[in-house]
Amino acid sequence: METQEELVRSEMESSESAQPKQVGFTVKVETRDLKAGFGGNMVLKGIDSRIPENRITAVMGPSGCGKTTFIRCLNRLHELTPGATVEGMALLDGEDIYDKTVDPVAIRRRIGMVFQKPNPFPTMSIYNNAVAGLALNGVKDKKVLNRAAEDSLRGAYLWDEVKDKLSASGASLSGGQQQRLCIARALAVQPEVLLMDEPCSALDPTATAKIEELITNLKKDYTIIIVTHNMQQASRVADYTAFFYLGKLIEFDETATLFENPREELTERYITGKFG
Amino acid sequence: MARLIDMGIKELNAILLEMSALSDKAVASSIQAYKEGGKGSEVREMSNRLADLHREVSDLTMEVIARYQPVASDLRFLKSCFEISYGFFRYGRYARDIVDVLDMFGDLSKCDNSAVVATARKTEEMIRMSADAFARRDVELARRILAMDDVVDDSYRKNLKRVIQEKENLKCAISTTLIMRYLERIADHATYIGESVEYIVTGVEPAH
Amino acid sequence: MENGDLGKGTYRRRHLFDRIMTGFIFLAVFVAVLPLVLIVADVVIQGGAELSLDFFTKLPTPVGIAGGGIANAIQGSAILVGLASLIAVPIGVGAGIYFSEWPESRLSAISSFMNDVLAEFPSITIGIFVYIIIVLPTRTFSAVAGAVALSIIMIPIVARTTEESLKIVPVSLREASLALGIPRWKTVLRIVISTGRSGLVTGVLLAIARATGETAPLLFTAFGSGYFFNSLWSPIAALPLTIYTYGTSPYSDWIAKAWGAALVLVGFMLILNLGVKLLIGRRYAGVRAEI
Repeated sequence: METQEELVRSEMESSESAQPKQVGFTVKVETRDLKAGFGGNMVLKGIDSRIPENRITAVMGPSGCGKTTFIRCLNRLHELTPGATVEGMALLDGEDIYDKTVDPVAIRRRIGMVFQKPNPFPTMSIYNNAVAGLALNGVKDKKVLNRAAEDSLRGAYLWDEVKDKLSASGASLSGGQQQRLCIARALAVQPEVLLMDEPCSALDPTATAKIEELITNLKKDYTIIIVTHNMQQASRVADYTAFFYLGKLIEFDETATLFENPREELTERYITGKFG
Repeated sequence: MARLIDMGIKELNAILLEMSALSDKAVASSIQAYKEGGKGSEVREMSNRLADLHREVSDLTMEVIARYQPVASDLRFLKSCFEISYGFFRYGRYARDIVDVLDMFGDLSKCDNSAVVATARKTEEMIRMSADAFARRDVELARRILAMDDVVDDSYRKNLKRVIQEKENLKCAISTTLIMRYLERIADHATYIGESVEYIVTGVEPAH
Repeated sequence: MENGDLGKGTYRRRHLFDRIMTGFIFLAVFVAVLPLVLIVADVVIQGGAELSLDFFTKLPTPVGIAGGGIANAIQGSAILVGLASLIAVPIGVGAGIYFSEWPESRLSAISSFMNDVLAEFPSITIGIFVYIIIVLPTRTFSAVAGAVALSIIMIPIVARTTEESLKIVPVSLREASLALGIPRWKTVLRIVISTGRSGLVTGVLLAIARATGETAPLLFTAFGSGYFFNSLWSPIAALPLTIYTYGTSPYSDWIAKAWGAALVLVGFMLILNLGVKLLIGRRYAGVRAEI
């Protein structure tokens, strides 16, 4: 019986990709040898991945495996932390978002993000929160903004609950509603990809269920990548699951396959709880 | 590190091992009764006990799945638990059916029992192989069971042909055919158990 | 603890000790608040009689002649503090934003430290400094010099409170804004400042309160005057200066006017501080839900 260290070392030495080269889906986001870290500390050690379009991909792994850093590299948020380093390529529809001529702000309009703790802007109303991404970027046409607000709030399954109090403060909502407001805010900008960093971890089961249902509905229009440490959530919502460990992508497969019959022993050990 | 689910898995393993031993004994007793002209009354009790154990496995499997939401090898084991326990339960049932035949038909000492005895030996070996393959999760052993099933199927068909052609004593013909049928079914279940073992270990259900 | 022991003996002792200690604390609070109460009471009693419409609207009369007021001092203070704010608020808020949003730069760390030092500087030295750089070359005391001196006092206060208020704004709000594709400068301007604005306003009000009450620097710069404001480059009256000049004079009616001026000044301070308290209370309701 190999120890964990031996398994990980053999994983790192193996040159075989964790993801089969032939894929049966359209690739929306791709990374090639993506490395990232802080100062001298390498968090992502060369990630090759292909994320399918209009599907939900779950990214999971134990604490410190680099899953949050991974998605923060995809919307170029990682580099804003002092001391952060990024190397390698990340492709959106085949184009490298880290090319020197690319405007990071433009990338963040195409790749949106929802955070772990709901963070609506406290000084803004529900309406203003929803359209913040548009209004603060120069959109002034009331009709356009109204349309965007209603569409995005509907898309986030929040419209019916707030349509009569759009001018109420964003902070006056419950936790689950606040998170849906944040989702609406991200959707209003009409991104192509939606990154979600453990969006339900601060919510109760009912709120979580609502959001899981809404994500499942969103995938027909967006490519969704969701970081989660909750395996049951990954198995519920995700079409594909990526398993990260110590900064490497260990396995990537259809969720049903990965959870019933994983290829890698490390994956098997993690999901059955044989190590945290 | 012991996980919560390990308690449930341990208990299921224990019950299945008990069922494997018990069903082996039941079949052996029934064949012995046939050979020596005994009653084999203890077989009925064993069969009932196996039915109870199977129900226990069924309930426990559902409980473990509902409570612990298992994945990967754990999930495959639990899925197979039900099928495997069903197999052991069927061993016991067919053993009881054999004893019922002895009961109904009475004295069978004048019948030619060579085919039955030979097939019974093969079948009992297959039972033991299925029990071992499960206990040790031995895929090689599981695969060999499949080969032996062909032999048993063959014997069954041969006996059927002989009975039709030789027009022997009706009592002997029917009792022999029935018992051969039960043995053939026991052999089938042994192969199913073997397939379940292969699925638990490799995650792939073998093609038939 | 034994079975059935409800701890009644120890509870009574502890309860008594608790009451004694609470008593001491109330005494301490009383002693701390007493000076403020005494000062306010004194000022109200001594200066209350002086308050009249004339007091607020008329110029001071020569010694010996009754009547007159401190209208020029009120006007002067307003002009000085107003000008000083015009200088100090943009510089202070700008510096505060820089310290808060770009803390990783060396310049930021050094300046922030120097800012804290300046905040503790004796105000009289600031007065002397402005005397040297403005009053001497222009050969006159002036409102400009006074305003500059007050602004130097105000800037560190505004910068520090701005920095603190903006630092309290959670990182997650900045990230949420950036993740929407809003550029950094707009994030700072529209989201961060908007969220921390109550702190900013509080800082400005506190700086104004401080500047209104400063006397020493004005001695060398604004100098004081008996007339209304007439030019930026001539001496100008101010409430603290009036209190100082009249209060140390031998004339009883001037001393009475000093008390009146003191009452106006103290009254202004109290209203300002009350305003700050109300502002914090109202705004915090929204921010607390976030934390």
